Amino acid sequence: MAIDEPMAEIPHLLLVDDERSIREPLAKYLEKQGFRVTQAGDAEAARTRLAAYAIDLVVLDIMMPGEDGLSLTRHIRETGDLPVILLTARSEETDRIVGLEMGADDYVVKPFSPRELAARIKVILRRAATGSRQHAPESGAYGFGDWVLKSGERTLVDRDGVSVPLSTGEYNLLLALVQRPRQVLTRDQLLDLTQGREAAAFDRAIDNQISRLRKKIELDPRNPEIIKTVWGGGYTLAAEVTRL
Amino acid sequence: MSARALWPRSLAGQMALLVAIALFVAQAINFGLLLRERNRLRFEQIISPTVTRLVDTEDRLNSGVATESGHGHVRITAINPIRPGLEREPAVERAIAAALNEAGFHPSAVIAAVRPVHRDDRHAHDGARYASRLTRFGAVLDIAVAMPGQGWLVLHAPWPHDNSGLIWGLIAQTLVLYVVVLLPVLWVGRRISLPLKSLAGAARDFKPGSDQPLLAESGPADVREVTAAFNLLRQRVTAMLDEKDRMLGAIGHDLRTPLAALRVRIESVEDESDRTRMADTIDEMNRTLDDILSLARLGRPSEPPVDVDLSALVDAVVEDFRDLGENVSFEDGARLPMKLRPALMRRAVRNLIENAVKYGRRATVRLAPGAEAVEIIVSDAGPGIPPERLADVFDPFTRLETSRNRETGGIGLGLALARAIVADARGEIRLENRPEGGLDAIIRLPR
Repeated sequence: MAIDEPMAEIPHLLLVDDERSIREPLAKYLEKQGFRVTQAGDAEAARTRLAAYAIDLVVLDIMMPGEDGLSLTRHIRETGDLPVILLTARSEETDRIVGLEMGADDYVVKPFSPRELAARIKVILRRAATGSRQHAPESGAYGFGDWVLKSGERTLVDRDGVSVPLSTGEYNLLLALVQRPRQVLTRDQLLDLTQGREAAAFDRAIDNQISRLRKKIELDPRNPEIIKTVWGGGYTLAAEVTRL
Repeated sequence: MSARALWPRSLAGQMALLVAIALFVAQAINFGLLLRERNRLRFEQIISPTVTRLVDTEDRLNSGVATESGHGHVRITAINPIRPGLEREPAVERAIAAALNEAGFHPSAVIAAVRPVHRDDRHAHDGARYASRLTRFGAVLDIAVAMPGQGWLVLHAPWPHDNSGLIWGLIAQTLVLYVVVLLPVLWVGRRISLPLKSLAGAARDFKPGSDQPLLAESGPADVREVTAAFNLLRQRVTAMLDEKDRMLGAIGHDLRTPLAALRVRIESVEDESDRTRMADTIDEMNRTLDDILSLARLGRPSEPPVDVDLSALVDAVVEDFRDLGENVSFEDGARLPMKLRPALMRRAVRNLIENAVKYGRRATVRLAPGAEAVEIIVSDAGPGIPPERLADVFDPFTRLETSRNRETGGIGLGLALARAIVADARGEIRLENRPEGGLDAIIRLPR
């Protein structure tokens, strides 16, 4: 196990999935990536392991016989602040929304790339370590200016109630800004905040997406009033944000 | 107006018309019988007293009791007293002649003619009662019998001439019948047709999956039974569709789980290019699975139509492709608010662009807003499709044989799904080869 990151300990993951055909090779892969992995085949076993070990992060399958992953997520949220990544077999939007409302940090849809899962685990662990992790559930609506960003439905709605669809990258960027109004966010911070969710935004220049967003939401994109550029720093959402 | 146009289309109308016709025919037959009976009665009332009087007079003449001028109502004249031009009654004449013959008299001529009388006509030798009777009947029958060697025996009988009273009575009777019979028929007809009408409406508007309230059972038992059967049918269809959804969910889960297991396991494949190819194959299988599930679920979309800026929607799809490094361009246009199911429409546009990128190297996307419809045009730089095969590519699970390699699988399914989504939005998809080369896939949506 190679640990060249300056982490004090090996992160301890709890992997909960009733499918042995997924759980076992995945545990093996994650161990190779430098994590300590404890496995559980159902929610009950997961509760026992949670009590017995100091777990750093839970990777949790939603669809399990008996108590399902959503219910276990709620239990974890009620008892502590442990990061949770959900594995879902369904690409149904509602499952993700419910999962995130329950307080999960992220989700991946089966079949997923183990590399992507490992990358997201690292991002969330890093955020947890630096305290920049979002504790509030991500689902909800944010009002700013004449706009409402509905994070559950991933849509931006204007004053007249017309939806303005956003690309995945634009959506992630706007969500990051709206969740941190009046904070100056550097390009690196924005990249870090947006890359965990989808692989799509990885190589995309933040500046480009900012200018696309401005074209969509600013009255005059050349004199932006909502997303302002901070000289020498990065970007900030200048508008008042209200949670709806 | 043709007879067909007059024929009512509704159940109540047809029932009412049929009953009305039947009533009318029955009344007409009734009327005919009544008229016949009346004629027969009149005949008898006139013939027998007339013949009796004639025979009596003749007897008295022969026995010398009667005077030359006549006896009772019978007068004797030398010449034919009946005015010419009056309407004669041959049936009465024949009957009188036959009766006299039977009694042993053989008149040389019998004349019976109807003479209308008016109130001021005087029949001096008749009694006042008789006169009033004559007046009431409106006409008098003049009967003259020529007896050989004795001249003409003449007498009158009241003759009921006017039938209008009878006709008016019948009309009134018929109207009363119509009201008494037709109103209940119309009422029953409506009691049957109203629930049938709402049943027809419910069947027409039936959208599987939507929670419509059960149709209220009303009307006669037979109609209630039909309504109840329809409600049951609807419940069964909904239950079947629910079952289908559950099954598709289970299929999705059961197929994704081994795919996910496979996807995890291939990370241990050492060869980088092998591993990438395996991952691509799994991704493709997963996308196909997604398409199958979406296509199967399309009849019961969970997403409501909302106002969406179509321009931003297309832009967002294009941007996702560009984020993945694909060669897709879009000329941003003015806002274009439309009522759509955004996630499904995104998928339709994505499928068209995916095909363009896959078979035509790159995609150029344009929006062409018109007065009645908006067109989303996805152009590629590929070889196009032979004109005779243009329609085939929409069939699910068919693929053009010119592209045999595995990577091009699923063109049919992607297009079929896109077409189903667009059809759900009341639009259409068509494919056109551009003369200068390349294929245009065009989504046309009504505004």
